[in-house]
Amino acid sequence: MILLQLLINGLVTGCALGVVAISFSLVYSTIKIFHVAHAGVYTLAGYIAWSLSTRGVPSLLAFAGAIAFCALVGAGIQQFLYRQLERRRASHLVVLIASLGMLAVIQNLIAGIYTPNILQFQIGWSQTTLRVAGVLLSYTQLLTVAMGIAAYLGMMFFAHRTALGKRIRAVASNPFLADITRLEPKRVYVIVIAIASAVVALPGVLVPLDFGLQPYSGVNALLTATIAMIAGGIGSISGAFFLAIGIAVVQNLSLLVIPGEWSIGVTFFIFVIFMLFRPTGLFTAR
Amino acid sequence: MTQKLRIVLAALVSTLALAGAAMAETVRLGAILPLTGPGAVIGTQQQRGIQLAVEQINAKGGVLGNPIEVIFEDNQAKPDQSVLSFNKLVDLQHVPMIFSAYSGPTLAMAPLATRKKILLVNGGAQADKLADASPYLINTIPTIGGEVEVMVRYLMSQGKKTGAILFENDAAGISGRDNYLKYYPAGGGTLVGQEPTQFGQTDFRPALLKVGAANPQVMLVAITAGLQQMAQQYKQLDQKYQVAGTSFFADPQTIADPAAEGFIHTQVRIDAPAELADAFKKKFDANFDFFAKQYYNATLVVAKALEKVLADKQPVTGENLRQAIFDIRSFQGLIPMEFKSNTATMVMDINVMRGGKDVRLTEMKSE
Amino acid sequence: MDFWYTYIVLAEIYVLLGLSTNLLVGIVGIFSVSQAAVFGVGAYIVAAATMNDTLSFVPALLIASACGLALNVLVTLPSLRVSGDYFVVTSFGIQLLATAIFTNWTEGTGGANGLPGIPPPDIFGLAVTETRQFLVLSSVLLSLGCLAFWLAMRAPYGRLLRAIREDELAVAAAGKNILFAKVSAAALAGAFAGSAGGLYGSFLSFVDPSSFDLDASILLLTMVVVGGARTLTGSIIGPFVLLALPQLLALVDIPTTIAAASRQLIYGVLLIAFMLFRPQGLAGEKL
Repeated sequence: MILLQLLINGLVTGCALGVVAISFSLVYSTIKIFHVAHAGVYTLAGYIAWSLSTRGVPSLLAFAGAIAFCALVGAGIQQFLYRQLERRRASHLVVLIASLGMLAVIQNLIAGIYTPNILQFQIGWSQTTLRVAGVLLSYTQLLTVAMGIAAYLGMMFFAHRTALGKRIRAVASNPFLADITRLEPKRVYVIVIAIASAVVALPGVLVPLDFGLQPYSGVNALLTATIAMIAGGIGSISGAFFLAIGIAVVQNLSLLVIPGEWSIGVTFFIFVIFMLFRPTGLFTAR
Repeated sequence: MTQKLRIVLAALVSTLALAGAAMAETVRLGAILPLTGPGAVIGTQQQRGIQLAVEQINAKGGVLGNPIEVIFEDNQAKPDQSVLSFNKLVDLQHVPMIFSAYSGPTLAMAPLATRKKILLVNGGAQADKLADASPYLINTIPTIGGEVEVMVRYLMSQGKKTGAILFENDAAGISGRDNYLKYYPAGGGTLVGQEPTQFGQTDFRPALLKVGAANPQVMLVAITAGLQQMAQQYKQLDQKYQVAGTSFFADPQTIADPAAEGFIHTQVRIDAPAELADAFKKKFDANFDFFAKQYYNATLVVAKALEKVLADKQPVTGENLRQAIFDIRSFQGLIPMEFKSNTATMVMDINVMRGGKDVRLTEMKSE
Repeated sequence: MDFWYTYIVLAEIYVLLGLSTNLLVGIVGIFSVSQAAVFGVGAYIVAAATMNDTLSFVPALLIASACGLALNVLVTLPSLRVSGDYFVVTSFGIQLLATAIFTNWTEGTGGANGLPGIPPPDIFGLAVTETRQFLVLSSVLLSLGCLAFWLAMRAPYGRLLRAIREDELAVAAAGKNILFAKVSAAALAGAFAGSAGGLYGSFLSFVDPSSFDLDASILLLTMVVVGGARTLTGSIIGPFVLLALPQLLALVDIPTTIAAASRQLIYGVLLIAFMLFRPQGLAGEKL
């Protein structure tokens, strides 16, 4: 019984992490930027939704507002930070540090405006629970799973079946060629980061419904997501998504065999070992 | 003759001037609190408690006519920043006493306080090591051990003899866990499990499920953040065991949340009159919560000691302030408390969360 | 005066650590974010050894730097196999693993409570209790560190390291031993970080995991970046500026309710501004 409940719990957490992972992976494989500030956008989504919903905006509308806002913020970061850095021929390291700076800016703007306290949504239905096959699940959790699957399928469809998705993949595989064939990589980059930011806003609003809002909480989610992305093979949407679920499930189930203090340590230990022996990931995209 | 008179007059004038200066001299005190980072949630409340107390004391003309000023330093809850801030306050601002919070930073400053004879007043951290870290460290809140001992006595009287621990994996939480490990079996109970969570991590489901699987009568809790989320997940998972904790449970949002119905906890009694809570709300647009009250209270203790030092015409030093606290011994701040040792003894209640309110079940005393 | 001494001692310790980071990140081009972990191991070793009277300060510090050396070689090993962002994430992982060990191995590290009451250093019978005495000690060690860094960079060895960063393949083709160069640079960096840790622990007389976490690693990186990568001057300026920054910003009058977050905010803005307009830092070479 507890095994099943822990498994389900891991799946739910994993779905949210998986969406963070695929959105991060989209940015990374296209723009080749280690977009750490993505964690800030993720956190921001929840706070915007909270602001709107406490002002009486219906929850779905509040979520949509947050998603749109995040897309704008993401596009802004690309346009006013990454693009300027690229123009200055900044090295990879410089861009990474600038992104870390951006993350600090977003987190502390949030902490300054909303205080660093844990905030909780006052949305009644989010707490209601259902018993599904003997396992208790809240509406928020069910919604998170539905969102995760929808985002994954949507992303797969978008990348492989739509014109824009194909264009993005073309730019990702060869930016130089894309530039001379007038695929306009610079515009594609802005679109990509806007899409990724909108997608990461989905778990960004759903996760805090369950766990409350904290300004500095995005980093952990992003780190696990990054690990999933790398272990899953960079460029592979499925790899990133399922690895993230795998990690969350393992972290939950590991509680049955090892003391909880060590579960994070063990995750990273396995990851470091993994990097030593199979650095290209499990499902490398060809 | 005129010369003599002149000397006398000059002496008189300078004495008066000195006396005048002494009368209106601002007393500068320090406070080293986490004002940024994850610790800032509590640090900001503590800062506000001090600010309100200082404002009210100064509005009444200060301590024997001397206004107080508290200089705040941010340590981000980190020991090295604390040591830097400590030296800054002591060397550059010459403060005789410093308010401190959080176990790690306070323990890091304790040896310095001993060496430089600066009074440290802690009204928030509850690690057991604080009790004897330095003769110059005064705790206006009981250590966690004191609270746990009371809670265990109560649980035993209720026949709750199997327990599991949920603790936060940081200094405060581990201190709580260690005390449960010490007092619960000593009181005649059996521990069937212990589950950690990370500070600031609000997914309690795996830990709650595992506690539930061990089937205890009571879950003994030592967490400082995410209490409301824990309560909600406890409710959603339909867990049946009793939930028991310490003063950290005094979080207004958790108490108001129906999910926390029936939670019991020890409560260091700290009552604030309604007008004080209103004044706080008006000034900061926030509730006068546990830590704000604690530091308001700690400021009253320091002001009282300062009054004695000034009345005795002694220089305001850490040494004299410390001596004054032990000389006065019994204080009436927001609550009565007594300094038999460096750590205050105070009345403790067992409260239960019922109908969105924190209701007193019974009164006990820490030993 | 103790305030200024404290400030200088802490800055000097971070300079030593900065040299270590600069050597790895700036000069060899191994982007490590786990230097704080090595720093922490040094601090815990000196703390544990001197607290139980097993060893006096000098041998404890030597062991700390030896362990730092060995550990740093170990944690930079993955960089031989994986490069770029892969190593960054691996390095993040190593840092988090170290934090988990510092926090959970209660017998060795005191866990989250830390180890209070580390005795002041004892240099062959002379107790270093006053801050100004400690300043002498840390200055001597730092001078040694700077000298070693300067000599290494002037030697053909330094040019070899720089060449590896620019073009590893060409260096290998020229018949140079890349493996040796990288490992020895990591070893030197580790010895710096380990001894900096030992100094840090005995100076504060208290260690806990919060001083050696991911934030500390990132702060360290910021110090190197703001000061300026690849140069001795940059490594020295960075820690002094960044440790002074919170103190200077405290002088700016901001309402207390938002002061806290806004200070950290300015810090982020500075990082971005430096990267946009002066990526070489105050006194370094272009990254």
